[in-house]
Amino acid sequence: MLDAFSRAVVAADTKTAPIGAAEIAELKTFIANGNKRLDAVNAISSNASCIVSDAVSGMICENTGLIQSGGNCYPNRRMAACLRDGEIILRYVTYALLAGDASVLEDRCLNGLKETYTALGVPTTSTARAVGIMKAAAVAFVNNTASKRKFDVTSGDCASLAAETAGYFDRVIAAVS
Amino acid sequence: MKSVVTTVISAADAAGRFPSSSDLESVQGSLQRAAARMEAAEKLAANIDAVAQEGYNACFKKYPYLNEAGEAGENQVKKDKCLRDIKHYLRLINYCLVVGGTGPLDEWGIAGQREVYRALNLPTAPYVTAMTFMRDRGCAPRDMSAQALVEYNGLLDYVINSLS
Repeated sequence: MLDAFSRAVVAADTKTAPIGAAEIAELKTFIANGNKRLDAVNAISSNASCIVSDAVSGMICENTGLIQSGGNCYPNRRMAACLRDGEIILRYVTYALLAGDASVLEDRCLNGLKETYTALGVPTTSTARAVGIMKAAAVAFVNNTASKRKFDVTSGDCASLAAETAGYFDRVIAAVS
Repeated sequence: MKSVVTTVISAADAAGRFPSSSDLESVQGSLQRAAARMEAAEKLAANIDAVAQEGYNACFKKYPYLNEAGEAGENQVKKDKCLRDIKHYLRLINYCLVVGGTGPLDEWGIAGQREVYRALNLPTAPYVTAMTFMRDRGCAPRDMSAQALVEYNGLLDYVINSLS
């Protein structure tokens, strides 16, 4: 598993060069925006179950066949598995956001996920839709624009963090589709 | 690679939980100390050739026998390799300063070091001399700030201990 710092080290090592001023300037930006990042991780973690249940409900609302007999969220046992997987995916996305690098998400969550879902007969379009709703919710929390759950924190420009978060969800969608 | 962030994430993952407030506190603590480490890494990277050359000169000055036939610095090729190795350690120290842990030195420098030096019949004392000289040569605030120098010297000491 890598983070933003060890990613720079691995990249420099392939060139057998020390990490110079240019790379360090990028890392200094990362350090300067550290509190924003921690607030974003905290906002997503604190609302995790809300984000997940909302995404799964949204997915089912758009496709009610999922909770009828023969659907993939019927009976409760499979619905519970769906909620659990949503939470696992969101958890690895928060780890990636905390580290500032996608390696933990790729190695520990997405690697082999599509194959597992295919083997279990999980519909990937529904999965991708639920992840898409989680993405929208998580981005709203990062930007602190979630209408009924506003955090009382110092406001700042979190556009790049929001784009980074969206990028991790896009990786998940690309991996399962 | 081991760092504060990856350690925190591994622990949270093992427990299957989201990052807790204490996890975020640990990461924040590491970020607060990062400025000094970045300064040291930047200054070291900018002067890595000169610093390595000084360390190299110090070890050949203290151990002139290295120049004699049959010794580890008997010809220019071997001398160049000695300088390259000192620079190699400095590069790993630069990485450790960036990561905020000893992961790069442990994984790419120290693991297997003793076995290699024994197999190639290389003395470790000259390396220790070079590192010691570089440690004592550093000066705050001429070279870098005091806190940055503490982080840099700590890693030089880590290498010295691994060699002795």
